[in-house]
Amino acid sequence: MFEARRLSSKIFLQALLFVLTVPFLLPLIQMVMGSLRGAGFGNYKAVWNTGVVPTFFRNSAIVAVCSIALVYCVTMTAAFGFAKLRIAGKEIYFWMLLAALTLPEVVLLAPLFATTMKLGVHNTLVAVILPLAALQAPFTILLARNFYEGVPSELLEAGRIDGAGVVQIFWHIVLPLTRPIAAAIIVLTLINAWNSYLLPLVMLISPENQVVTLLPQFFVSEFANDQTKVLASAVITAIPEVLAYLLLQKYFERGLAAGALK
Amino acid sequence: MTQATVATRTEAARKKGQKRLQHSGLPWILPAMILVVGLIYYSVGYTGYLSTLDWNGTSPTVKHVGAANFVQLLHDKVIRQALWHTLIFYVVTFTVQTTLGFTLAALLHSKLKLRTLHKVIIFVPTVLAPATMGPTFRLMFSADDGIINKGLRAIGLDSLAHPWLADPKTALPSIMVVTIWQWTGMTFILFFAAMSQIEPELLEAARLDGAGNLRTLWYVVWPGCRGTTIALAILGLIGALKTFDWPWLITVGGPGRATEFLGTNIYREAIREYHLGYGAAVSLVLLVLAVCGSILMTVVNRRSTK
Repeated sequence: MFEARRLSSKIFLQALLFVLTVPFLLPLIQMVMGSLRGAGFGNYKAVWNTGVVPTFFRNSAIVAVCSIALVYCVTMTAAFGFAKLRIAGKEIYFWMLLAALTLPEVVLLAPLFATTMKLGVHNTLVAVILPLAALQAPFTILLARNFYEGVPSELLEAGRIDGAGVVQIFWHIVLPLTRPIAAAIIVLTLINAWNSYLLPLVMLISPENQVVTLLPQFFVSEFANDQTKVLASAVITAIPEVLAYLLLQKYFERGLAAGALK
Repeated sequence: MTQATVATRTEAARKKGQKRLQHSGLPWILPAMILVVGLIYYSVGYTGYLSTLDWNGTSPTVKHVGAANFVQLLHDKVIRQALWHTLIFYVVTFTVQTTLGFTLAALLHSKLKLRTLHKVIIFVPTVLAPATMGPTFRLMFSADDGIINKGLRAIGLDSLAHPWLADPKTALPSIMVVTIWQWTGMTFILFFAAMSQIEPELLEAARLDGAGNLRTLWYVVWPGCRGTTIALAILGLIGALKTFDWPWLITVGGPGRATEFLGTNIYREAIREYHLGYGAAVSLVLLVLAVCGSILMTVVNRRSTK
């Protein structure tokens, strides 16, 4: 967009980019520096030796995998139904889903708290997975329906002529065509599930049921607010996220950008 | 083509489409409807009921208080503060993120070095969980150990060093800075994508007419990104209303109530203080604002794209 013909303006633009980008690194530098103060790598050892880190990671993985599976299944089937099948009052159902699109999750806190208490599922992972999936699904269905509308109906017709039932058409023709949108849906749900803080904060009480976003808080009480070890635990939690992003850069950027435009 | 032929054509296409798959789609959308309606609509309805109660969520004694929670809400100074914070927060973060994101996107569309590295650095904050970064920011803005005050002292600006989070005047701006740090990456990616759609011929023409870098940006690129800016305005408004993670993780809504938002207030009332009824009443206010916000923005959007 910028055109630099002279060397001086080239240097100026490069410097401007550098100056604007450095502040984004500062918190990361602060995090790593802070985690190495005092005992140095001993902080990481102390955090790891508590033995709880794998538990928190395992729980986060369960939450992420289950919400992805749930969101993926309901999204793929519903989007197929909305885009390609006959439903009386179709748009009414669709609007019912769209109305939930911008709902702030904090609105669900009071009723979910009371309900999970009553049903005895408070302090279980299910109490986090179901609301996460329900909040995610309206948007992914909108996204997938738009994509499905672009799948030519002739393809489905060809399948029908060959004697395939609607389930077979869905399974053998539609699903393989929708891989690009599936990738976006999976990445989007993964990030939202892995990073979710409010629902776990309300629902998960005992440490053996907690997820990685509650890890800093756990170590604040575990190490009597010893900042260096809390930060070491934060670095341990951040590393897999940064790695996942670096490896799947394109998918993350696309998935999140698609998610932003709801 | 006349409008009538278009109409008959689409009508024919619709009929043809209907003939193709006659199966009822209802069973296909049922799982999604059960999940969303069963959980979200149920919860919203239940919130409405809860808002008329004085109840702690677990005790068997439930007191019906009618509209008392809403009367209390109208006189609640904290709610008014939270709304005010949301508004300032929205205006500032949206303006700064848009400016920064747009500038960075334009820079990274230019022929500069290390573009991928810069892109990664800008986008990483978007991927990291606020909960993971919370302790870092508490340290960063702290009076003595933080990198900010240390840096200011190192370059001889001791007078600017400040207990950023302990002072009610700078606590909210600090939360805004953190939010901008996190979300500029998203703004940037969206502008970056929008700029790839602008036709090179347009830029070429502007340059031939003698427009410089800034003029081209302002008269060609910025209008070309209009749709993105509007989408970001909607996203930012809803995001501002939803704000919970950062103020809760960094300042717990304080000092005093200097960084209180509706989200932190609902959590504080409903879960911390066991005032489920009052929390539900505040939730309804938030819900109405979020719905109004998105309707308003959609209307503005429609009008401006016409």
